[in-house]
Amino acid sequence: MRFTLIKNVKEDKAMKPLLNGLLLFILLYILFDIFVKSHTMGLSVSTVTTTLFGNADEFLDPMNESVFLEFVHMQIFFLMMILLTLSAVYARLLHKKSKTVLMLNILLFTALLTPLSLVAAYFYSAEFIGIYLFTFFTWHIVAFYMATASLWELNCAK
Amino acid sequence: MPNSAYKVAISYFILFSFLLLGSGAWIFAQKIGFSYHSVLSYYLGDTATFASPKTYEGVLKTILPHIFAFGLFVMVVLHFVIFTTKRNTKEFTTLIYLAFLSAFFEIFSPFMILEGFEFFAYIKIFSFFLFEGTVLYTLFILFKSIFYN
Repeated sequence: MRFTLIKNVKEDKAMKPLLNGLLLFILLYILFDIFVKSHTMGLSVSTVTTTLFGNADEFLDPMNESVFLEFVHMQIFFLMMILLTLSAVYARLLHKKSKTVLMLNILLFTALLTPLSLVAAYFYSAEFIGIYLFTFFTWHIVAFYMATASLWELNCAK
Repeated sequence: MPNSAYKVAISYFILFSFLLLGSGAWIFAQKIGFSYHSVLSYYLGDTATFASPKTYEGVLKTILPHIFAFGLFVMVVLHFVIFTTKRNTKEFTTLIYLAFLSAFFEIFSPFMILEGFEFFAYIKIFSFFLFEGTVLYTLFILFKSIFYN
Protein backbone atom coordinates (compact mmCIF):
# COMPACT_ATOMS: atom_id res chain seq x y z
CA MET A 1 0.00 0.00 0.00
CA ARG A 2 2.42 2.57 -1.27
CA PHE A 3 -0.24 5.30 -1.29
CA THR A 4 0.02 5.44 2.49
CA LEU A 5 3.61 6.68 2.15
CA ILE A 6 3.11 9.38 -0.51
CA LYS A 7 2.61 12.83 1.01
CA ASN A 8 0.09 14.26 -1.45
CA VAL A 9 -1.79 11.49 -3.21
CA LYS A 10 -4.05 13.93 -5.05
CA GLU A 11 -1.09 15.55 -6.83
CA ASP A 12 0.76 12.32 -7.60
CA LYS A 13 0.50 11.55 -11.33
CA ALA A 14 0.78 7.79 -10.87
CA MET A 15 -1.15 7.20 -7.66
CA LYS A 16 -4.18 9.33 -8.54
CA PRO A 17 -5.32 7.27 -11.59
CA LEU A 18 -4.37 4.06 -9.78
CA LEU A 19 -6.57 4.90 -6.80
CA ASN A 20 -9.37 6.08 -9.14
CA GLY A 21 -9.30 2.70 -10.86
CA LEU A 22 -9.20 0.80 -7.59
CA LEU A 23 -12.12 2.78 -6.15
CA LEU A 24 -14.19 2.31 -9.31
CA PHE A 25 -13.63 -1.43 -9.17
CA ILE A 26 -14.57 -1.49 -5.47
CA LEU A 27 -17.78 0.38 -6.35
CA LEU A 28 -18.51 -2.18 -9.07
CA TYR A 29 -17.87 -5.03 -6.62
CA ILE A 30 -20.26 -3.53 -4.07
CA LEU A 31 -23.01 -3.12 -6.69
CA PHE A 32 -22.60 -6.53 -8.32
CA ASP A 33 -22.31 -8.27 -4.96
CA ILE A 34 -25.91 -7.22 -4.29
CA PHE A 35 -27.07 -8.73 -7.60
CA VAL A 36 -25.15 -11.95 -7.02
CA LYS A 37 -26.43 -12.31 -3.46
CA SER A 38 -30.01 -11.72 -4.62
CA HIS A 39 -29.64 -14.80 -6.85
CA THR A 40 -27.60 -17.04 -4.53
CA MET A 41 -28.75 -16.27 -0.98
CA GLY A 42 -31.70 -13.91 -1.38
CA LEU A 43 -32.26 -10.38 -0.12
CA SER A 44 -35.46 -10.74 1.89
CA VAL A 45 -36.27 -12.73 5.02
CA SER A 46 -38.43 -15.19 3.05
CA THR A 47 -35.89 -15.83 0.25
CA VAL A 48 -32.97 -16.26 2.67
CA THR A 49 -35.11 -18.60 4.81
CA THR A 50 -35.96 -20.68 1.73
CA THR A 51 -32.29 -20.80 0.63
CA LEU A 52 -31.05 -21.91 4.05
CA PHE A 53 -33.83 -24.23 5.17
CA GLY A 54 -35.60 -25.19 1.94
CA ASN A 55 -39.33 -25.25 1.35
CA ALA A 56 -41.29 -28.49 1.48
CA ASP A 57 -44.27 -26.96 -0.37
CA GLU A 58 -42.08 -26.02 -3.33
CA PHE A 59 -39.90 -29.18 -3.07
CA LEU A 60 -36.79 -27.07 -2.41
CA ASP A 61 -33.95 -28.73 -0.46
CA PRO A 62 -32.20 -26.95 2.42
CA MET A 63 -28.65 -25.74 1.92
CA ASN A 64 -26.07 -28.45 2.59
CA GLU A 65 -23.94 -27.73 5.71
CA SER A 66 -20.59 -28.02 3.95
CA VAL A 67 -21.81 -25.85 1.04
CA PHE A 68 -23.00 -23.28 3.57
CA LEU A 69 -19.67 -23.28 5.46
CA GLU A 70 -17.71 -22.89 2.22
CA PHE A 71 -19.97 -19.99 1.23
CA VAL A 72 -19.38 -18.24 4.56
CA HIS A 73 -15.62 -18.96 4.46
CA MET A 74 -15.34 -17.41 1.00
CA GLN A 75 -17.43 -14.41 1.99
CA ILE A 76 -15.19 -13.70 4.98
CA PHE A 77 -12.09 -13.72 2.76
CA PHE A 78 -13.55 -11.36 0.16
CA LEU A 79 -15.03 -9.07 2.84
CA MET A 80 -11.77 -8.68 4.73
CA MET A 81 -9.67 -8.01 1.64
CA ILE A 82 -12.08 -5.58 -0.05
CA LEU A 83 -12.88 -3.67 3.13
CA LEU A 84 -9.29 -3.45 4.35
CA THR A 85 -8.31 -1.94 0.99
CA LEU A 86 -11.25 0.48 0.98
CA SER A 87 -10.61 1.45 4.62
CA ALA A 88 -6.94 2.16 3.92
CA VAL A 89 -7.77 4.41 0.94
CA TYR A 90 -10.58 6.16 2.81
CA ALA A 91 -8.43 6.69 5.91
CA ARG A 92 -5.57 8.05 3.78
CA LEU A 93 -7.75 10.51 1.85
CA LEU A 94 -10.18 11.63 4.53
CA HIS A 95 -8.18 11.34 7.73
CA LYS A 96 -8.78 15.00 8.57
CA LYS A 97 -12.55 14.53 8.77
CA SER A 98 -13.90 13.94 12.26
CA LYS A 99 -16.30 11.17 11.24
CA THR A 100 -13.69 8.99 9.49
CA VAL A 101 -13.10 6.67 12.46
CA LEU A 102 -16.86 6.46 13.09
CA MET A 103 -17.54 5.50 9.46
CA LEU A 104 -14.80 2.86 9.58
CA ASN A 105 -16.26 1.42 12.76
CA ILE A 106 -19.78 1.24 11.30
CA LEU A 107 -18.53 -0.33 8.07
CA LEU A 108 -16.28 -2.93 9.64
CA PHE A 109 -18.52 -3.79 12.58
CA THR A 110 -21.58 -4.42 10.38
CA ALA A 111 -19.43 -6.31 7.86
CA LEU A 112 -18.09 -8.48 10.70
CA LEU A 113 -21.63 -9.18 11.90
CA THR A 114 -22.82 -10.20 8.42
CA PRO A 115 -21.23 -13.69 8.26
CA LEU A 116 -21.63 -14.16 12.02
CA SER A 117 -25.39 -13.51 11.89
CA LEU A 118 -25.76 -15.79 8.87
CA VAL A 119 -24.02 -18.62 10.77
CA ALA A 120 -26.23 -17.90 13.80
CA ALA A 121 -29.30 -18.02 11.54
CA TYR A 122 -28.29 -21.37 10.05
CA PHE A 123 -27.27 -23.11 13.27
CA TYR A 124 -29.33 -21.40 16.01
CA SER A 125 -32.37 -19.43 14.99
CA ALA A 126 -33.91 -18.10 11.77
CA GLU A 127 -34.53 -14.83 13.61
CA PHE A 128 -30.91 -13.88 12.92
CA ILE A 129 -31.79 -13.55 9.22
CA GLY A 130 -33.17 -10.08 9.96
CA ILE A 131 -29.86 -9.06 11.54
CA TYR A 132 -27.99 -10.58 8.58
CA LEU A 133 -30.00 -8.53 6.09
CA PHE A 134 -29.68 -5.33 8.14
CA THR A 135 -25.88 -5.66 8.47
CA PHE A 136 -25.54 -6.76 4.81
CA PHE A 137 -27.33 -3.66 3.51
CA THR A 138 -25.66 -1.34 6.05
CA TRP A 139 -22.12 -2.29 5.10
CA HIS A 140 -22.95 -2.05 1.40
CA ILE A 141 -24.42 1.44 1.82
CA VAL A 142 -21.53 2.65 4.01
CA ALA A 143 -18.94 1.12 1.67
CA PHE A 144 -20.65 2.77 -1.30
CA TYR A 145 -20.58 6.11 0.51
CA MET A 146 -16.91 5.69 1.49
CA ALA A 147 -15.86 4.79 -2.06
CA THR A 148 -17.73 7.74 -3.59
CA ALA A 149 -16.47 10.10 -0.85
CA SER A 150 -12.90 8.94 -1.57
CA LEU A 151 -13.40 9.50 -5.30
CA TRP A 152 -14.77 12.98 -4.59
CA GLU A 153 -11.88 13.80 -2.29
CA LEU A 154 -9.36 12.51 -4.83
CA ASN A 155 -10.76 14.37 -7.85
CA CYS A 156 -13.08 17.21 -6.88
CA ALA A 157 -12.33 18.47 -3.36
CA LYS A 158 -9.95 21.42 -2.95
CA MET B 1 -0.87 10.40 9.29
CA PRO B 2 -4.24 8.83 10.12
CA ASN B 3 -2.87 6.39 12.70
CA SER B 4 -6.08 5.92 14.69
CA ALA B 5 -8.05 5.13 11.52
CA TYR B 6 -5.45 2.57 10.45
CA LYS B 7 -5.52 1.02 13.90
CA VAL B 8 -9.30 0.60 13.62
CA ALA B 9 -8.96 -1.03 10.18
CA ILE B 10 -6.19 -3.39 11.32
CA SER B 11 -8.07 -4.29 14.52
CA TYR B 12 -11.08 -5.39 12.49
CA PHE B 13 -8.78 -7.16 10.05
CA ILE B 14 -7.49 -9.21 12.99
CA LEU B 15 -11.08 -10.12 13.94
CA PHE B 16 -11.86 -11.09 10.34
CA SER B 17 -8.71 -13.23 10.33
CA PHE B 18 -9.96 -15.09 13.41
CA LEU B 19 -13.22 -15.76 11.58
CA LEU B 20 -11.37 -16.94 8.49
CA LEU B 21 -9.12 -19.30 10.47
CA GLY B 22 -12.08 -20.51 12.53
CA SER B 23 -14.28 -21.21 9.51
CA GLY B 24 -11.33 -22.94 7.80
CA ALA B 25 -10.83 -25.22 10.81
CA TRP B 26 -14.57 -25.88 10.96
CA ILE B 27 -14.66 -26.91 7.28
CA PHE B 28 -11.57 -29.11 7.78
CA ALA B 29 -13.19 -30.82 10.77
CA GLN B 30 -16.54 -31.22 9.03
CA LYS B 31 -15.35 -32.39 5.61
CA ILE B 32 -12.04 -34.14 6.29
CA GLY B 33 -11.52 -34.66 10.02
CA PHE B 34 -8.34 -34.34 12.05
CA SER B 35 -7.36 -38.00 12.32
CA TYR B 36 -4.91 -39.88 10.08
CA HIS B 37 -7.61 -42.33 8.94
CA SER B 38 -10.22 -39.64 8.24
CA VAL B 39 -7.74 -37.75 6.02
CA LEU B 40 -6.91 -40.94 4.12
CA SER B 41 -10.54 -41.95 3.69
CA TYR B 42 -11.43 -38.43 2.50
CA TYR B 43 -8.81 -38.48 -0.27
CA LEU B 44 -8.57 -42.20 -1.07
CA GLY B 45 -12.22 -43.10 -0.50
CA ASP B 46 -13.76 -45.54 1.94
CA THR B 47 -15.86 -48.56 1.01
CA ALA B 48 -17.41 -48.67 4.49
CA THR B 49 -18.91 -45.19 4.11
CA PHE B 50 -19.33 -45.41 0.32
CA ALA B 51 -17.03 -42.38 -0.05
CA SER B 52 -15.49 -42.21 -3.51
CA PRO B 53 -11.79 -41.32 -3.86
CA LYS B 54 -10.84 -37.80 -4.87
CA THR B 55 -9.44 -37.20 -8.35
CA TYR B 56 -6.45 -35.01 -9.21
CA GLU B 57 -8.83 -32.70 -11.06
CA GLY B 58 -11.12 -32.42 -8.03
CA VAL B 59 -8.23 -31.64 -5.68
CA LEU B 60 -6.84 -29.11 -8.15
CA LYS B 61 -10.17 -27.29 -8.28
CA THR B 62 -10.09 -26.92 -4.48
CA ILE B 63 -6.47 -25.90 -4.15
CA LEU B 64 -6.33 -23.40 -7.03
CA PRO B 65 -8.19 -20.56 -5.26
CA HIS B 66 -6.38 -21.49 -2.03
CA ILE B 67 -2.92 -20.97 -3.60
CA PHE B 68 -3.82 -17.35 -4.32
CA ALA B 69 -5.79 -16.83 -1.10
CA PHE B 70 -3.13 -18.31 1.23
CA GLY B 71 -0.37 -16.28 -0.42
CA LEU B 72 -2.29 -13.02 -0.26
CA PHE B 73 -3.60 -13.58 3.26
CA VAL B 74 -0.19 -14.53 4.68
CA MET B 75 1.49 -11.58 2.97
CA VAL B 76 -1.13 -9.09 4.24
CA VAL B 77 -1.09 -10.40 7.82
CA LEU B 78 2.70 -10.60 8.03
CA HIS B 79 3.38 -7.24 6.40
CA PHE B 80 1.64 -5.51 9.32
CA VAL B 81 4.38 -6.88 11.59
CA ILE B 82 6.79 -4.50 9.80
CA PHE B 83 5.09 -1.68 11.70
CA THR B 84 5.73 -3.31 15.08
CA THR B 85 8.84 -3.68 17.23
CA LYS B 86 9.30 -7.23 15.84
CA ARG B 87 10.52 -5.79 12.54
CA ASN B 88 14.01 -7.00 11.56
CA THR B 89 14.03 -9.74 14.19
CA LYS B 90 14.83 -13.42 13.70
CA GLU B 91 11.41 -14.25 15.11
CA PHE B 92 9.71 -12.35 12.29
CA THR B 93 11.86 -14.05 9.63
CA THR B 94 11.02 -17.44 11.18
CA LEU B 95 7.31 -16.58 11.13
CA ILE B 96 7.49 -15.69 7.43
CA TYR B 97 9.17 -18.99 6.51
CA LEU B 98 6.89 -21.04 8.79
CA ALA B 99 3.73 -19.46 7.42
CA PHE B 100 4.60 -19.91 3.76
CA LEU B 101 6.08 -23.41 4.18
CA SER B 102 3.16 -24.70 6.24
CA ALA B 103 0.72 -23.18 3.73
CA PHE B 104 2.61 -24.91 0.88
CA PHE B 105 2.49 -28.34 2.55
CA GLU B 106 -1.12 -27.87 3.64
CA ILE B 107 -2.15 -27.12 0.06
CA PHE B 108 -0.04 -29.68 -1.83
CA SER B 109 0.07 -32.70 0.51
CA PRO B 110 -3.23 -34.13 -0.92
CA PHE B 111 -1.41 -34.78 -4.22
CA MET B 112 1.18 -36.90 -2.40
CA ILE B 113 -1.61 -38.81 -0.64
CA LEU B 114 -3.21 -39.54 -4.02
CA GLU B 115 0.23 -40.68 -5.26
CA GLY B 116 0.23 -43.34 -2.54
CA PHE B 117 2.44 -41.67 0.07
CA GLU B 118 -0.02 -42.15 2.90
CA PHE B 119 2.19 -40.62 5.60
CA PHE B 120 1.46 -37.27 3.95
CA ALA B 121 -1.86 -37.45 5.82
CA TYR B 122 0.16 -36.63 8.95
CA ILE B 123 1.87 -33.78 7.09
CA LYS B 124 -1.52 -32.45 5.98
CA ILE B 125 -2.78 -32.36 9.58
CA PHE B 126 0.49 -31.06 11.04
CA SER B 127 0.91 -28.33 8.41
CA PHE B 128 -2.70 -27.23 8.94
CA PHE B 129 -2.18 -26.75 12.68
CA LEU B 130 1.23 -25.18 12.13
CA PHE B 131 -0.27 -22.70 9.69
CA GLU B 132 -3.14 -21.82 12.02
CA GLY B 133 -0.73 -21.50 14.96
CA THR B 134 1.71 -19.31 13.05
CA VAL B 135 -1.01 -16.95 11.86
CA LEU B 136 -2.64 -16.85 15.30
CA TYR B 137 0.70 -15.96 16.89
CA THR B 138 1.21 -13.22 14.27
CA LEU B 139 -2.27 -11.88 15.01
CA PHE B 140 -1.40 -11.89 18.73
CA ILE B 141 1.73 -9.79 17.98
CA LEU B 142 -0.38 -7.32 16.01
CA PHE B 143 -3.06 -7.19 18.70
CA LYS B 144 -0.45 -6.55 21.40
CA SER B 145 1.20 -3.90 19.28
CA ILE B 146 -2.07 -2.02 18.67
CA PHE B 147 -3.46 -2.14 22.18
CA TYR B 148 -0.44 -2.25 24.47
CA ASN B 149 2.48 -0.56 22.68
